[in-house]
Amino acid sequence: MAAAVTAPDTTNARSSKTESYVDNKRRDDIRQANILAARAVADAVRTSLGPKGMDKMISSANGEVIITNDGATILNKMEVLQPAAKMLVDLSRSQDAAAGDGTTTVVVLAGSLLRRSLSLLSAGIHPTVISDSLYKLSVRAVDVLHSMAIPLELSDRDSLVKSAATSLNSKVVSQYSSLLAPLAVDAVLSVVDPEHPDLVDLRDIKIVKKLGGTVDDTELIRGLVFDKKVSHTAGGPTRVENAKIAVIQFQISPPKTDIEQSIIVSDYTQMDRILREERNYILGMVKKIKASGCNVLLIQKSILRDAVTDLSLHYLAKAKILVVKDVERDEIEFITKTLNCLPISNIEHFREEKLGHADLVEEVLIGDGSKIIKITGIKDVGRTTTVLVRGSNQLMIDEAERSLHDALCVVRCLVNKRYLIAGGGAPEIDMSWKLGVWAKELKGMESFCVKEFAEALEVIPYTLAENAGLNPISIVTELRNRHAEGETNAGINVRKGQITNILEENVVQPLLVSTSAVTLAIECVRMILKIDDIVTVR
Amino acid sequence: MAVERLLKDEATEEKGERARMASFVGAMAIADLVKTTLGPKGMDKILQSTGRGRSVTVTNDGATILKSLHIDNPAAKVLVDISKVQDDEVGDGTTSVVVLAGELLREAEKLTNAKVHPMTVIAGYRMAAECARNALLQKVLDNKDDPEKFKSDLMNIAMTTLSSKILSQDKEHFAKLAVDAVLRLKGSTNLEAIQIIKKAGGSLVDSFLDEGFILDKKIGIGQPKRIENAKILVANTAMDTDKVKIYGARVRVDSMAKVAEIEGAEKEKMREKVQKIIAHGINCFINRQLIYNFPEELFADAGILAIEHADFEGIERLALVTGGEIASTFDNPESVKLGHCKLIEEIMIGEDKLIHFSGVEMGQACTIVLRGASQHVLDEAERSLHDALCVLSQTVNDSRVLLGGGWPEMVMAKDVDNLARRTPGKKSLAIEAFSRALLAIPTIIADNAGLDSAELISQLRAEHHKEKSNAGIDVISGCVGDMEKLGISESFKVKQAVLLSATEASEMILRVDQIITCAPRRREDRM
Repeated sequence: MAAAVTAPDTTNARSSKTESYVDNKRRDDIRQANILAARAVADAVRTSLGPKGMDKMISSANGEVIITNDGATILNKMEVLQPAAKMLVDLSRSQDAAAGDGTTTVVVLAGSLLRRSLSLLSAGIHPTVISDSLYKLSVRAVDVLHSMAIPLELSDRDSLVKSAATSLNSKVVSQYSSLLAPLAVDAVLSVVDPEHPDLVDLRDIKIVKKLGGTVDDTELIRGLVFDKKVSHTAGGPTRVENAKIAVIQFQISPPKTDIEQSIIVSDYTQMDRILREERNYILGMVKKIKASGCNVLLIQKSILRDAVTDLSLHYLAKAKILVVKDVERDEIEFITKTLNCLPISNIEHFREEKLGHADLVEEVLIGDGSKIIKITGIKDVGRTTTVLVRGSNQLMIDEAERSLHDALCVVRCLVNKRYLIAGGGAPEIDMSWKLGVWAKELKGMESFCVKEFAEALEVIPYTLAENAGLNPISIVTELRNRHAEGETNAGINVRKGQITNILEENVVQPLLVSTSAVTLAIECVRMILKIDDIVTVR
Repeated sequence: MAVERLLKDEATEEKGERARMASFVGAMAIADLVKTTLGPKGMDKILQSTGRGRSVTVTNDGATILKSLHIDNPAAKVLVDISKVQDDEVGDGTTSVVVLAGELLREAEKLTNAKVHPMTVIAGYRMAAECARNALLQKVLDNKDDPEKFKSDLMNIAMTTLSSKILSQDKEHFAKLAVDAVLRLKGSTNLEAIQIIKKAGGSLVDSFLDEGFILDKKIGIGQPKRIENAKILVANTAMDTDKVKIYGARVRVDSMAKVAEIEGAEKEKMREKVQKIIAHGINCFINRQLIYNFPEELFADAGILAIEHADFEGIERLALVTGGEIASTFDNPESVKLGHCKLIEEIMIGEDKLIHFSGVEMGQACTIVLRGASQHVLDEAERSLHDALCVLSQTVNDSRVLLGGGWPEMVMAKDVDNLARRTPGKKSLAIEAFSRALLAIPTIIADNAGLDSAELISQLRAEHHKEKSNAGIDVISGCVGDMEKLGISESFKVKQAVLLSATEASEMILRVDQIITCAPRRREDRM
């Protein structure tokens, strides 16, 4: 035999003989490892659920610190590696996209369902049977939620405000919920297009953050706000009434060609002439602008050359034109939509019909020395709106923005699907109870699985009570009793620390948040259950 | 006996029994890996990438799993290859083919251990495969002449294919989508005309089929949002000033006014180009490259809808479906073929605005918009739908249909068994082994569903002993059922491809008696 023959691959050979046994063991292990990892993620965010939930402080690798109560944000920043844990992070992201709120609820729910699945698996039930029962459960659960739902009219502003307030109550900014909730409702309602009453594009609501003041100073502005200063180095106006606004995409500076150019100066008089020409050139542009009656200029940022020069600013100031420079190209669409004007990309096209009109454009001093530009009283204002968020420190502002985003999403959900549902753990307990009853009508494995999972839904009221410092067991059992007696809307009143009719306490949330939390959590759990192997690939 | 070394230092060589063992083990390991994904109750796998981002894919698709594996065993590579070929050829059955090949090799291993020569095994396998194919051909159903029945066949096939995938809960919905899309193709297998757009949000049931074409782009500011009877010019051209592409080219001037003049001239050139484009008599202009602010405004003034920065695949497909050509010079308006469609409008899907072209020239074209909770779901849904579309387009061409649920395997196994009894000699052992390997597929399907496979398979066999049985495994109720009534069908072409390529692959691996691994190439600097 040639000496080059190496030892046979003994490990492989051994595994082939006993492979069926080893394989099955490994499969169970992987499923178990996945479930445990996913549950660890769920446990991490559990304490932040509910109005008395706690916040997390996350310090990221680059030293940035975030304080938040928002499940999606916490999970996003956690940088988990285990694939199943990652799926839970994605789950919370999906909930964020679908409903915007309930991102913690969905993860906690999935964690609890997984815990029950584990015990079902160890009882020897096949994962596909568990998965199928879960699917049936989700269909039924959504039915239960629908039967609890209360229809809502968009004109019913009170209910909208109530549900936005419920969402805000669990956040850092809860003491400002009386201010932020109506604000969120007004913002969303003002961008609803009567032609498509059930579509809301949250991109039509611009949130501008500005440090200084307190969250109390947050305001809704029907118009535009720029977090910028007016360019008034040359002493131009900072306040213009009856403004005619032009959004321009060209530059008011000496000409520059795309081809590289050089001006050859051979004597002193020529230099003088060039300077004069430059002045004339800019003056010509400014005159044309002035001739159209424009008195406010919004200039798009340019990477090719200076958008304005000192010289052009000077002339513009003399012509009493207010200049805002460095407007990003992405913002142009929002601006033109709001101002109801057209962008102008060439001086030759500078005509009056392309201008937008507003009653007042002014620079406002807020806080200590920082300034913003407000455009208000816009004629034919588009369906857009701006929210100016204030706060005493950056962490607060960021959290306020996230909370406001959640509140906006809640209102949007209500616009999309006009049903409300009670909060405070009431829907979960009701589902749990009704599904438990339903489980008794089923037969075989399914009945067993459905019963287990119905109980798993109790995790939400349990955690709510726990986080509020109440005795979870006595609260949950009492809740169960009240629901069994037909009090569908009995829920945990965290403020009073007892069980009351939660609708009377004005704790309501959109139906869409609950349904999507249940369906998404179940979908994710089913996906995790169906996985029997992790393969490392390129 | 001192033999000189023939091979380089690190090259290795395995011979005879050992070589065969290595390939058996490798191939079986691969087959076992994907085995659990087989059938309607098959499991999924997580594919965790070791690359940057450690992205995670969850899939049930055999081809996807196999092609992303790290493999160092030559026999295993052969199996990965056949699954790839199966994917390219017919699109579905990628798992079945690997599992069948694995089972064939498992049986072959037993035979070679019992001192049957590999060549005898191969000869037996060949005969068995031929016989199995004939058995299928006899039982095949063909409803080509009856459009109604044919369509229901297609629906059944699509549902069977989808039932093992993530889409299983909404399989009726998706089967309908897939069948409608494929029937629009009118017999061509050019799946390019079917565009799949994935948009996160909503649920899978919200997915829909749309005739026409959807482009994921925005319409320029201030331009019409709706155009009827559109004449479309698809272009790939730079819309900024034409530059002199010589390095160091520069203009020398002696006054500012001249610079302004040149700038004016540049602008004029852009305007000229836009004028030329407008002179084509179009009302929609789609460019692959950026359209800058200035031309955009010119187009807006002329009332032309201009779309910039469309992706390459997008414009090629757009040119195909609207019947236009991709133009890059605009001097001869008469020689450029314009695309046409009845209506262009902006639509909202979920939260995004897209541009919809309806009533396009090429009637076959259509778009399937997939909606789903997350990117994982969407990706997997796309793979599943792609499988279904492939199978359907194959079936439209070759309309022969079989029942599913392990029925074809039982039919084949029965005939192969009969053949074994008639065949004298050692070959009969191999033929018998072949039929056992065929039976492994329904066994695995039953096992994956958590059913008692031994009991079910013996019941099935008894059923099939009768003439004209339609019995197969009904995974949902967990017993033997009538496949025709349950509407579980498979395409003949897929089954045939599975059978033939699995047999060929196992033959190839069986023939091997020596594996030579070449010395790994080294980097010079490490030496």
